[in-house]
Amino acid sequence: MLLLDYQNVLIESLLKDRFSGATPTSIDQVVSDFDGVTFHISTPETKTKLLISISVRCFNELVQYGAQQVLEREYGPYIVSPEQGYDFSVAVDLENLPAEEDARNDLIRRISLLKRNAMAAPFEQAFDEFAKLQEEASKYTSESAPQGVREGGVVRAIHYREEEAIYVKANYDRVTVIFSTIFREETDRIFGKVFLQEFVDARRRAIQNAPQVLFRNDPPLELEGVPGLAQSGSGEIGYITFVLFPRHISMQRREEVISHIQTFRDYFHYHIKASKAYIHSRMRRRTADFLQVLRRARPENEEKERKTATGRTFRVQG
Amino acid sequence: MAPQTPAVVMDNGTGYSKLGFAGNDSPSFVFPTAIATKGPAAGSGGSGSGRPAVANKPSFLTGGAGPSGHLSAKRGTEDLDFFIGDEALSAAAGPGYGIHYPIRHGQIENWDHMERFWSNSIFKYLRVEPEDHYFLLTEPPLNPPENRENTAEIMFESFNCSGLYIAVQAVLALAASWTSTKVTDRSLTGTVIDSGEGVTHVIPVAEGYVIGSSIKSIPIAGRDITYFVQQLLRDRGEPDSSLKTAERIKEKECYVCPDIVKEFARFDADREQFRKFHVADPVAGRKGVTVDVGYERFLAPEIFFNPEIYSSDFLTPLPNIVDTVIQSSPIDVRRGLYKNIVLSGGSTLYKSFGRRLQRDIRHLVEERIRASEARSGGAKSGGLEVQVVEHKRQRHGPWFGGSLLGQTPEFRSYCHTKAEYEEVGPSIVRRFALLGGPGST
Amino acid sequence: MSQSLRPYLQCVRSTLTAALSLSNFASQASERHNVPEIEAASSPELLLNPLTVSRNENEKVLVEPSVNSVRVSIRIKQADEIENILVHKFTRFLTQRAEAFFVLRRKPVKGYDISFLITNFHTEQMLKHKLVDFIIQFMEEVDKEISEMKLFLNARARFVAESFLTPFD
Repeated sequence: MLLLDYQNVLIESLLKDRFSGATPTSIDQVVSDFDGVTFHISTPETKTKLLISISVRCFNELVQYGAQQVLEREYGPYIVSPEQGYDFSVAVDLENLPAEEDARNDLIRRISLLKRNAMAAPFEQAFDEFAKLQEEASKYTSESAPQGVREGGVVRAIHYREEEAIYVKANYDRVTVIFSTIFREETDRIFGKVFLQEFVDARRRAIQNAPQVLFRNDPPLELEGVPGLAQSGSGEIGYITFVLFPRHISMQRREEVISHIQTFRDYFHYHIKASKAYIHSRMRRRTADFLQVLRRARPENEEKERKTATGRTFRVQG
Repeated sequence: MAPQTPAVVMDNGTGYSKLGFAGNDSPSFVFPTAIATKGPAAGSGGSGSGRPAVANKPSFLTGGAGPSGHLSAKRGTEDLDFFIGDEALSAAAGPGYGIHYPIRHGQIENWDHMERFWSNSIFKYLRVEPEDHYFLLTEPPLNPPENRENTAEIMFESFNCSGLYIAVQAVLALAASWTSTKVTDRSLTGTVIDSGEGVTHVIPVAEGYVIGSSIKSIPIAGRDITYFVQQLLRDRGEPDSSLKTAERIKEKECYVCPDIVKEFARFDADREQFRKFHVADPVAGRKGVTVDVGYERFLAPEIFFNPEIYSSDFLTPLPNIVDTVIQSSPIDVRRGLYKNIVLSGGSTLYKSFGRRLQRDIRHLVEERIRASEARSGGAKSGGLEVQVVEHKRQRHGPWFGGSLLGQTPEFRSYCHTKAEYEEVGPSIVRRFALLGGPGST
Repeated sequence: MSQSLRPYLQCVRSTLTAALSLSNFASQASERHNVPEIEAASSPELLLNPLTVSRNENEKVLVEPSVNSVRVSIRIKQADEIENILVHKFTRFLTQRAEAFFVLRRKPVKGYDISFLITNFHTEQMLKHKLVDFIIQFMEEVDKEISEMKLFLNARARFVAESFLTPFD
């Protein structure tokens, strides 16, 4: 597995199973997703009414950035009032599904992307703001532009994990997405540094059209004045900046780009772990090699069994 | 980390892996413990030789050919190119991939594959960041402590999981039986009969500790029942006697009868007992066929109680094994072991399985009591209670037990945390405080 | 093999061969005990002069002989923090499996990455020149392994970064 899935596999397979006409059964499961997101899948009333609720750490922030509108656009008629303890709920009635196969598959896809859609709001808002700023900026030359246009929009902070956050900021010529990430472990920190260096270099070397990636240990300039920024003395905290250029933010690309950039943090950490696993397997093999060399140092104990004329066996004492 | 994240419960068995979150009543994912990898071994890999591609070429054996030769192969990304579970089975059906089963006889044999299996389980299926969650893993009884250490090394060093508890499957199966109404006290003393796909174990557990010296295993389990059904189908010349059909019939139609002779008579008297089994079309373009199902309905599970009808080298019935196991356990726990015989695993799900087992064991016990009463000349025994506990969570018993214990508020205090691991090293996992034992809940 | 590595290994080899002339020697301190004197260090007359073979400031071998045991400690080359962490991981992995290695010491001597303890019982059971071969081969392979792992890490990082950024293109 190279890239992480955007959708939640459990919800996807569960809905596929339920939608395929299998006999409905009751279910009541609380499952997790990345970044402390919790889903509750249940059939509270009847076996055919599936209720899927999501709880996100930073839902209040997301609402502030227009999450409610995004979710309403995506789930419209399926939305129900949020279940106790959760932020957002959708209900699906198995007896009342869209008739066409395509529409049903689309519904499965959309519901399994619940987390992605909830987190998408600030990005969409920033992208819209970018479009507005771009239009305004085109009226001015770069020198004469008023302060507001040159400075760009506000920084949207999403504190999606306890110690880590995403910041999104729109300018007239780009949108900047900044991830703050923390390494609790020395190995991870060093591995992470190697990985991030390659992210930074990738654009220069291979993929010219990719977003520019920057990496530093102290908060970048864009975040000046944002409250609650952790200052990193020992290099545990890193700030990774993605600079999305207009080509990435075009209307037809943005859905894919939003999905993709959201997975960055988990993708990054997943690969650090996967390379540790690979290094483990190398070490196992190398250890086996060493053992074999050492074993050669033991003289072959030839326990010769000899037979007497009567057929009894005895061992030669070496 | 947020304190409310549920613990991840993973029960990796020889045949199937059960993955999910603590607090749920069933695992989120159940799929074969199989991994399909690409590599030079893939040509012959279809046979599932089980050898990793990496291990068969130690570099120094190439006569010091230098690193350049095999370096290029190692810098690739083939270690990311693999599938697990059902996807592995379908990938292995095509070209290029070979399938491997990292667990044999309940124990992890290939750590490279297991590590990648876990990695994919966590990131693709469960979708959790291991740093945010505590993990509850299971192990078979008599698992060597080195295996525990290896597991901990992987979980803590590769995945940085924040806490780990490794529980014995049999103990978790006991905990799972607490849901049964028959169980009144939540004791961790009992005999666990764990019958899965490959092998059946009878495991006595006293106060949460497995009595290792008394464990017995029986080479009759789910797979053998399937083979037996298949054999009967073949003997009759049914139109479809594939293994898959046999398995479906076994799961749908089989049950345990109280008396095999009477059951034959009952079948002959009442033709209704013979069933038709409709095989849905396996290959497109062919019409489905109907298979007759007869005596195998009760004969197949009967091989637990009368092994001689199936096997010629293993002849001891299951109830006798259970009795021997308990008799070989310390005398002061025997009463508890008889009183709480817990079933676990897919092959114990046959209707009336528990009832028959309970009756047979009770017969054995009562016979012994009568004999000793006769020998003592007049002394009366107080009797011995034999009880077989059946419950709803039998199929995924160990997983459910793990889920039950993993959601208790004190679960985290029983785990070893990453910090403790760093402090002490892998040997820390040799000891775990007994979860759910006396003193808790 | 680079210019300076060969004489370095050759030097370690002859030092070890000379040091590994061990005899069974019962403890002088307590009756019916037989302990590696280099570890016990209870009587100075049983210890021989320790010796350091050093290739450069980062790579050296400390050989501490005694009457019935020799302690060999190796400092593995570490040019940067990546190699540092890889060496640390690898030596920890090995010492975790010290049981299988017989001659591996569970804890390295201070200032070194990994230590071996060879006693007269080992030399009695195993061929001496093969034991020396093992140490030498270990030194050779460890460097190779560490640099390969580093190369792997860089290659993997590059691959991962490019795969993530390609969909934006």
